[in-house]
Amino acid sequence: MGPLEHLSGEIAHLIEELSGRDIWNFGWGSITTYSVWIIIVLLLVFAVIWVVKSRVSLIPKKGPVAAIEATVDYIRREVGYGVLGHKEAVDKHMPFLFTIFFFILAANLVGLIPGAKAATGTFSATLTLAVVSFVYFNYYGIKHSGLGHYIVNIAPKGIMPGLNILVWLIELLSLFLRIVTLSVRLFANMYAGHIVIGAFSILTTLFVFPMIQDFTLANLGGAAPAIGWMLLLVLMYGMEILVAFIQAYVFTLLSAVYIQLATSEH
Amino acid sequence: MTVIGYGLAVIGAGIGVGLAAYGGATATARQPEMQPKIFTTFILGAAFSEALALIGFVLALMSA
Repeated sequence: MGPLEHLSGEIAHLIEELSGRDIWNFGWGSITTYSVWIIIVLLLVFAVIWVVKSRVSLIPKKGPVAAIEATVDYIRREVGYGVLGHKEAVDKHMPFLFTIFFFILAANLVGLIPGAKAATGTFSATLTLAVVSFVYFNYYGIKHSGLGHYIVNIAPKGIMPGLNILVWLIELLSLFLRIVTLSVRLFANMYAGHIVIGAFSILTTLFVFPMIQDFTLANLGGAAPAIGWMLLLVLMYGMEILVAFIQAYVFTLLSAVYIQLATSEH
Repeated sequence: MTVIGYGLAVIGAGIGVGLAAYGGATATARQPEMQPKIFTTFILGAAFSEALALIGFVLALMSA
């Protein structure tokens, strides 16, 4: 049980490391390490899209340009035409959905670089994204059917009088729960993923460490489990790359579904 | 205690996501050409049942 006795202490250190630190505190708020990563990710997305936009041509290209083109095409087809339906709605809402998608995707992927932090790995950032999405679909819902009509239409039609007030209240609650579920889903996936990757890296290091300090045959044998942890780490890392794409896609898809629900006729 | 409560909350959501994945897999096996549409439906179903586990997660964090 030698190496494992340090595990809980190291995990506590990891969790502390994952919470944001103030860089500049000005009374009513502060710039944290996560704010810096958000700005970096925004600049990165802007730069990449800017470069790709200037390279797009009618003749299909290879490499990164083709990858981004394929992603845009896939999102437009599946989220746009698949959920929103007709062309006017797709043209109207796709810029917002693409912004959300590429920001979350870039933030998730940047967070996987060792040493970098995922901008989506803090609850404040994901809550902000969810509130933006919430305000957006409510704004277009109210714009589409008028304030009074929109509020009444929160509950589905065709329920007997008396019961429909109860249903309306439950639907109102679930409308506000969308903020919670959107933000917590993204945050929990990213945070848990980073803790798991961190835990496997710590385990690998803990088993290898005695061998580095004192190279004996017994310590070499003791370091053998590190190979297993390393393999698990690589597997989890691949898994996290997949999760980065899936969570960005899920957030965009759910935003599109909420927009569609808010702006469709009841 | 909060961890046990979260574990209980996850049982139902786990079954729900599993059922969604089962439905998605069988539907894709029957009609592979409908895979993108089925994937969208799967993600939606999984997201809605997952929401319950997420509420459990928030409650566990709030009472911790």
